[in-house]
Amino acid sequence: MRRFSNVAIASVTVVSLCTGAWLLESGEETHAPPQPSAAEARSGRPADPGSAPAPAPALPASPPERIRIPSIRVDAPLMGLGLTRSGSLDVPPAGKKNLAGWYEAGTAPGERGTAIVAGHVDNADGPAVFYDLGAVKKGSAIDIARRDGSVARFTVDAVEVYKASDFPDQKVYGAADRPELRVITCGGGYSRSTGYQGNVVVFAHLTGGHR
Amino acid sequence: MRRTARLLSAAALAVAAAGLVAAPAYADDEGSLEVYPSSAEPGGQVTVNTAACEGGTAEGDAGAVGAGAFTLAPSTHEDDAIGQFRVPPSAQPGTYEIVAKCAEGDHEVSGDLVVTLSPARGQVQPRGSVKTGVGGVMGPDPVQTAAGVAALAVAAAGGTWLLHRRARGDGI
Repeated sequence: MRRFSNVAIASVTVVSLCTGAWLLESGEETHAPPQPSAAEARSGRPADPGSAPAPAPALPASPPERIRIPSIRVDAPLMGLGLTRSGSLDVPPAGKKNLAGWYEAGTAPGERGTAIVAGHVDNADGPAVFYDLGAVKKGSAIDIARRDGSVARFTVDAVEVYKASDFPDQKVYGAADRPELRVITCGGGYSRSTGYQGNVVVFAHLTGGHR
Repeated sequence: MRRTARLLSAAALAVAAAGLVAAPAYADDEGSLEVYPSSAEPGGQVTVNTAACEGGTAEGDAGAVGAGAFTLAPSTHEDDAIGQFRVPPSAQPGTYEIVAKCAEGDHEVSGDLVVTLSPARGQVQPRGSVKTGVGGVMGPDPVQTAAGVAALAVAAAGGTWLLHRRARGDGI
């Protein structure tokens, strides 16, 4: 009996020691959001020309209501965003983790031109709406539900990471002669002193739409 | 008070009419007509919506800008009625009042459409990166850390117990 309880206590001790060590060790690790691989960049493998959906004609202007990215289980409402005093795109309130925004002084998604959507990768409490944005692949679908009841479907062309210190404004925000979409969140490395060092940017173009 | 307000708004109207090509429209107090985009080029498509018709249809009138009548149909979005029209390619720059009248009841709402010759929207592009994260996922997970500490405490207790027995010569 005594021998049995000694063995039991010894095993519990060893198991607890290992579990505790593992929990502490892995708990110290960061849960960095996924970042796109080089293959998803514009210069990476070319999208298969046979399967790439053809661009769809532009839709009439209507403000967007929701964004859905089925491949990373995003389904979030969109709020209107303006610019900050420094001219950068403003962001939704950080406290609401399932909320994204769109640049409402610019192009509405589905219209001809470059529409811009942005959302948080995380907030003080943990992951937020676009935590997995860096895991989106070329060819993935992004649906924008619009106020006129239509849904604009975009297909991803590329996923890039840009440093904040060398941000390609023209590439990301510049005008386009077909309906395009950019979805932006934070990424590109993190340091405790300066935060995220850049942005993950998803490039997509309109390939369909339905009522 | 009321009289003052009326005088003031009359004065404002007079000033506006003198100063602008078209007098600005005043939004109805009981709900308004949202015009999107609020500034469009000749030939551009405009969407209007209103929550004033409580799920019913409405008759839209874009005659001021020369686009004629159009229908606002109920939509899935809340109780909004939504309609679209195209600004005539010949439309002149200015501010125009777009009106919608609910099919049921006499409720009428209006909103402003500004016609510009150059695209007013999208001219100001955002600049630079976007501050969309604070690193909240980057620190150690407090729950996991607490669980780890608890497990180590159990291990320490177990170890102490065993050592204690051994010291007493309890046959380890």
